[in-house]
Amino acid sequence: MTRLPALKAEPSESSDGDLLRALARGDQTALAGIYDRYRLILFGLVMRILHDRAEAEDVLQETFLQVWRRAGDFDEARGRAFTWLVTIARSRALDRLRASASRGRVAGEAAQMPQDDVGDAAEDALRSEQGKVVRQALAELPSEQRRALFLAYFEGLTQTEIAARLGDPLGTVKTRMRSGMIKLRELLRDKLGNSM
Amino acid sequence: MGLMDDHQQYQESLALHALEALDATEARSLEAHLASCAECRAALSEWRDATGLLAHASTPKAPSDELRARILAAARAETRAPQTGSSARVVPMPIAPRRSNLWPNVLRIAAAVAIVGLLVGVIVMWRRDVLSRREIARITREKARAENLLAREREARAKEGDAIAMLNSRDTKKMELAGTETAQNARGTFVYDPKTGHGMLMTEGLPATPADKQYEVWFIPKGHTPMPGKMFTVDASGRAMVAGEIPLEARANAVIAITLEPKKGSAAPTSAIYLSSPSS
Repeated sequence: MTRLPALKAEPSESSDGDLLRALARGDQTALAGIYDRYRLILFGLVMRILHDRAEAEDVLQETFLQVWRRAGDFDEARGRAFTWLVTIARSRALDRLRASASRGRVAGEAAQMPQDDVGDAAEDALRSEQGKVVRQALAELPSEQRRALFLAYFEGLTQTEIAARLGDPLGTVKTRMRSGMIKLRELLRDKLGNSM
Repeated sequence: MGLMDDHQQYQESLALHALEALDATEARSLEAHLASCAECRAALSEWRDATGLLAHASTPKAPSDELRARILAAARAETRAPQTGSSARVVPMPIAPRRSNLWPNVLRIAAAVAIVGLLVGVIVMWRRDVLSRREIARITREKARAENLLAREREARAKEGDAIAMLNSRDTKKMELAGTETAQNARGTFVYDPKTGHGMLMTEGLPATPADKQYEVWFIPKGHTPMPGKMFTVDASGRAMVAGEIPLEARANAVIAITLEPKKGSAAPTSAIYLSSPSS
């Protein structure tokens, strides 16, 4: 089995769609390819939600096995492969977070302080161009918009829970989140296109 | 309020729905609208793509080197022995076998056609009327009028929207649920679209719901703990019709089970199973 370059997606490599189609046919090389391409971003996401390496690795494994079993369900016409992958990883991580919260464990310090990542140079080297564009756009958002979006995305809170957490009126919170989302959608339309 | 106003209000909620940040009631009502509004469905998928970008806000991190080998080995093991759950938590519940690409196109179309027929039949039973096929067609045309036949009109309207969206979907699948020893006269039908995750459960013959309890739907994907679905009560004949969203993990091959739970719902099943889809 050839190990694909882990850090960057070469332009000559197969598209995500190609890899997922190969996966659906049971091609394990394609699973390795998808893993190498997305393990950093997905593990970062799951760690951000769970703050626990062992739990996060467990969830990452479940995520890729689900990708392996369900690749046939992915439909390129209905959304980007990236969206499909992060949706699975996020939803598994949030399930795990809720399960540990109901076992009485505190969600983690991030519950109090959503970090605004300003990563160092070494980390930047790991990050994709797409990530840079997104992070720059998020950095330009008013901090209260960013905060509300992060509480929803990384902690799985609802609009009402976010309003309670921040002590702001529900209507205000909804407006902020919508404005933030509109900015992300513009980014997708203008800068990122549908190529990724 | 006119339909267009509703539609505009729903459109406003799509971004937050993509974030899964709507409150449960609002989310349910939007789901019902989505079942019959292709425009909103398309917009939602764009919002979901936008939501996915938020993953980039986290710092990329490298998992341990062993994990790669572990995942590939687990995938290989599954290919050899489909029954072997790879997840750390295997639940002592009936587990559906792996069923990948089970539906070649022709079979799939034939099955969909058959299911549409069956579903229409079930709806007709639910109306407690013996309607001829022609009358069914008339009801589809005169949807608004026919809806008034249903006792709980508002809720029923949403459900019918789901049903019709599913009738129109080529991907609709159907599962029969059988009563267990706890509820031998009960039976149920679960119709769902694995692509959109919209599903509908119809039951009959379930024991009456005690005042402090409700039935709860469980989705049990292979190798996964049971995931809670909707809560519901039944009428005097043990009937219920419940529309809802299937969790992503449960869309391909989950077992569906029904238990009786305290009214506020349970995070994990606490009673015996009343109804269940076949485990193999």
